[in-house]
Amino acid sequence: MLQRFPKSQAILQVYAVIAVMLSGWTITAFLWKLSAWLLILNIGEIFTVFSYSMVANLIESLMVLLLLLAICAILPAALFRDDFVVRGTILAIGLIGSLMAFVKFDMQFGIGSGARLLIGPFAVLLLAAILLGFSAKFRFARVLHSAILWFSDRLIVFLYILVPLYVILLAYIIFRNIGQ
Amino acid sequence: MHMSKISRRDFLKTSAALVASTTFAGAARILSTAHSQTIDKSNILIFVFDAMSAHHLSLYGYPRNTTPNLEKFAEHAAVYHNHYSAGNFTTSGTASMLTGLYPWTHRAINYRGMIDRSLVDRNFFNLIGKEFTRVAFTQNLWADILLSQFEKDLDLHLPPDSYSRFADSLMQPKALHADHDLAYFVFQDFLNLRVDDLHPYPGSLFLGSADLARALASDRPYISGDYPRGLPTNHDFSYENTRVLEGIRHLIQSSMLQSSPYLGYFHFWSPHDPYSARKDFVGMFPEELKLQAKPRHSFAVNNFSDQSLWKYRREYDEFIADLDAEFGKVLSSLESSGVLQNSYVIVTSDHGELFERGEQGHASALMYAPVTHIPLLISAPGQQTRSDFHALTSNLDLLPTLTQIARKEIPDWVEGRLLPGYGGTEDASRSIFPIMAKDNAAFRPIERATFTLIKGVYELFFFTGYSGHPDTFELYNLQEDPQELHDLFRRDITTASQMKNELLEAIYTANHNMQKK
Repeated sequence: MLQRFPKSQAILQVYAVIAVMLSGWTITAFLWKLSAWLLILNIGEIFTVFSYSMVANLIESLMVLLLLLAICAILPAALFRDDFVVRGTILAIGLIGSLMAFVKFDMQFGIGSGARLLIGPFAVLLLAAILLGFSAKFRFARVLHSAILWFSDRLIVFLYILVPLYVILLAYIIFRNIGQ
Repeated sequence: MHMSKISRRDFLKTSAALVASTTFAGAARILSTAHSQTIDKSNILIFVFDAMSAHHLSLYGYPRNTTPNLEKFAEHAAVYHNHYSAGNFTTSGTASMLTGLYPWTHRAINYRGMIDRSLVDRNFFNLIGKEFTRVAFTQNLWADILLSQFEKDLDLHLPPDSYSRFADSLMQPKALHADHDLAYFVFQDFLNLRVDDLHPYPGSLFLGSADLARALASDRPYISGDYPRGLPTNHDFSYENTRVLEGIRHLIQSSMLQSSPYLGYFHFWSPHDPYSARKDFVGMFPEELKLQAKPRHSFAVNNFSDQSLWKYRREYDEFIADLDAEFGKVLSSLESSGVLQNSYVIVTSDHGELFERGEQGHASALMYAPVTHIPLLISAPGQQTRSDFHALTSNLDLLPTLTQIARKEIPDWVEGRLLPGYGGTEDASRSIFPIMAKDNAAFRPIERATFTLIKGVYELFFFTGYSGHPDTFELYNLQEDPQELHDLFRRDITTASQMKNELLEAIYTANHNMQKK
């Protein structure tokens, strides 16, 4: 069964992409809200809100990773597992990017735009699908292939910060709730 | 370490002691229950209607017949005609009512602010004590933050969306076991996407997208035949007053019988904006009121035309009439079931609403009477007649009065007074200080605010710290000029000077106490 999954190094590279994208979004939103919270919450309370948010972030990032691993387990190895870093990264960027586009369109144009809010996410998903479908068939795709491998490898450095942070904040939240 | 064996005699002795102690504890519990049952204490039911201005109630002389049921209720209640909130929006107004403290003391001065953490025991749930079964419910999430701060003093704290129809966001305020008071900030204020927010920025892409998708997929189910302007909503969930009030009535009737004495705090979103009356009430006030147009105020942020303001006013009045009809049904039901026979029933609001000088709403710099003048009615058990009180009272007075009703000692930190009719006296020289300071840090002295001093028939405003504006005072005689149109600050120099000095001294003391902390 384990043979259906990619190697741990490949999983790490894809997880780094997922974690950096999701935590980048959450931390940016957090900094955007911080000035308002400084008026009403003390430092300890702000830290607690941040902790819960990052734990939610951890859960989300693991959900995306598990989804990709599930796809790995279901599809033939040649379709996904053998090129997990590149295909997993494209799919993760496509999924998370489409959510970002969805929310960003709402932030920009408001809920009144209705179905037009879906244009952005569909465009991102379509691009991801094209890249997935034609990867390695064109010269551009091969360049992209190498770029993704290099990029996802570089992002692992952020896991040295993010993973301990996730662990510490998760422990803090568990401790708070058990202590009650 | 040597452990001696337990002999048969020791075992018997221990068993006997255990049996005796268990029996005694059980008996103590029974006695305790019997004791609480024999204490002759009435129940207390507090109904708070958010943003209900006394200026729009026919009960207080408003020309539109908005509150026939409240008028009926008033026939056997104490009616307070000059009752003012200490704040002009939910957080500060509700916090003052629940703590008996001014905003500059309890520090819940910001939008979604919290009471000074060192003062959270200063609330009427705590003062009234465990003898009462204390139940609290609010549909207003900002008021719910305050109730969450009092969590340990509540026996039952209902979620805000109880009895609601459609949730607009995936709110989970009860999910954080250890941090009830921060749940709002984690979810509503950060992780979730609030569709109606001016600048939504969800901290969670997943929750935010889910909220957004739900809002899009739901096709905004708020418009229905019964609600031409949409279902009432607090922007986090939609509800129907019929269902919410019926739910609360059922809760009261089912739980009060088992857990008396009972303190119920029920804080409803209506008639807060958006004003979504049912179709039966839409258009019920076709005649235009003969209102004097008031010029736009230089501190107004908005610039609504008089026509727009009159339209909003009519919609607000219709919404009050709708709510009054629903509340009338609850009162009738409680009366016929005998609940009112042994209960104090209090009807009030946290702040009012303003439709003048370019502003619509309540949380602006303009603190004119419609936004701070709120209703207060108290019906005592078995009360058969109406009594009217015209003395100046504040919503800080509710806490000491309830404490008195519950026959508890009123602590010396309370800044309110006993209400007339409940041990208090009508004091013509009394001063009260409603304030709006939402732009200040809760942990620092207040520098940008509208301060108000109401004393006798006079009302003094002090606008300070607003960028682009010099500090400004306004003085009105509420008796001779109830529309607050003729500024006396430069005409009645003696009164202006006395009140200005008193207000500045009170501000200085409050800020000085803050700095000491």
